[in-house]
Amino acid sequence: MTEPANPGLVPRDARPKEQVVMFSIAEYSFVISASSVQEIRSTDSLGGNVVELDRPVLQKVRHIVERDSRSYYVVSGYEHFHLPLSRPTSVLILRNVPVAVLVDRIEQMAEMRVLLGLPRSFCGEERVWYRGLTVLGRKVVPVADPRGFLTAEELRQLEEENPGLLQAAGHPAGTSRRERERV
Amino acid sequence: MNAENNGLVPSFVVLQVGTRRIALPRERVAELIASPLLFAFPHTTPLIAGVVLRRGRVLPVLDLGPGVSGAPSPSTRFFLVVERHISGALEKCAIPVQGACELVSGVMIPGAGDDGFVTGHLNLNGEQVDVLHLEKAIAVSTANQCERSSATEALS
Repeated sequence: MTEPANPGLVPRDARPKEQVVMFSIAEYSFVISASSVQEIRSTDSLGGNVVELDRPVLQKVRHIVERDSRSYYVVSGYEHFHLPLSRPTSVLILRNVPVAVLVDRIEQMAEMRVLLGLPRSFCGEERVWYRGLTVLGRKVVPVADPRGFLTAEELRQLEEENPGLLQAAGHPAGTSRRERERV
Repeated sequence: MNAENNGLVPSFVVLQVGTRRIALPRERVAELIASPLLFAFPHTTPLIAGVVLRRGRVLPVLDLGPGVSGAPSPSTRFFLVVERHISGALEKCAIPVQGACELVSGVMIPGAGDDGFVTGHLNLNGEQVDVLHLEKAIAVSTANQCERSSATEALS
């Protein structure tokens, strides 16, 4: 076999790559862009930072959690995806959205090389839940959309019933809700 | 008569969905595929059992069983890939089928059935096989599955 004249010129895989976190809820695996995850915590370690919502308007959101002077609505992963009751052991605290997602397990970090659009035949809530599908290790896995866990309308409902919490979540780091309440 | 050597006579693909043999116009069918892995994930669209991966493309798997044979199709190794027009675009979907499919040619005798999705039937050596209107079959199957889900929820 003839060797390439200059092996250095052999084109490498130029497809864009994206680091993702693979997590599971019930029997299903999902991935989410690592850049949209601020922190991964064990549910046991949240402890005193969790506050129950006075008026839970959504079945899937019953608590808020405060981390680093910011507040996040805690979204139950299994209820969000309409799955059977599961046992969350980890929480994904998201970046840029006031959402922390309860998941059963963190599986692994991976590199996503392809993002396939959700086929048009899918016409339900999944169009909001997912950015698309990817293939990891010969397995098709949905790519969760961080903005799909709580839609703008759901955030508005939560804010209406629990005024002040959303502002706390959107407030710049360094000023907690309690601190602002003191002002 | 051989379907391949007579372009004038319409061709149909005869398939088995659950317990019922039905036919689809040949031009709606892309291929028959065997043994792809079915990948399931949470969603709320009726009829979709998951997706299969075929030549780097993701195909949604649409189970026509609830409308065509009255119950979800049993698990299978075979999928018929068909083309649908959705929102102005063509999309390939995989329909689970039981066993092999048959390519036949013949003249369809028009006539709507009680089901609401039959456009006519073929006479195959004495056997009457209904020819489906795919989109109507999907609509009826969707309605049947929603009805079934509501009934199950009401009972639970």
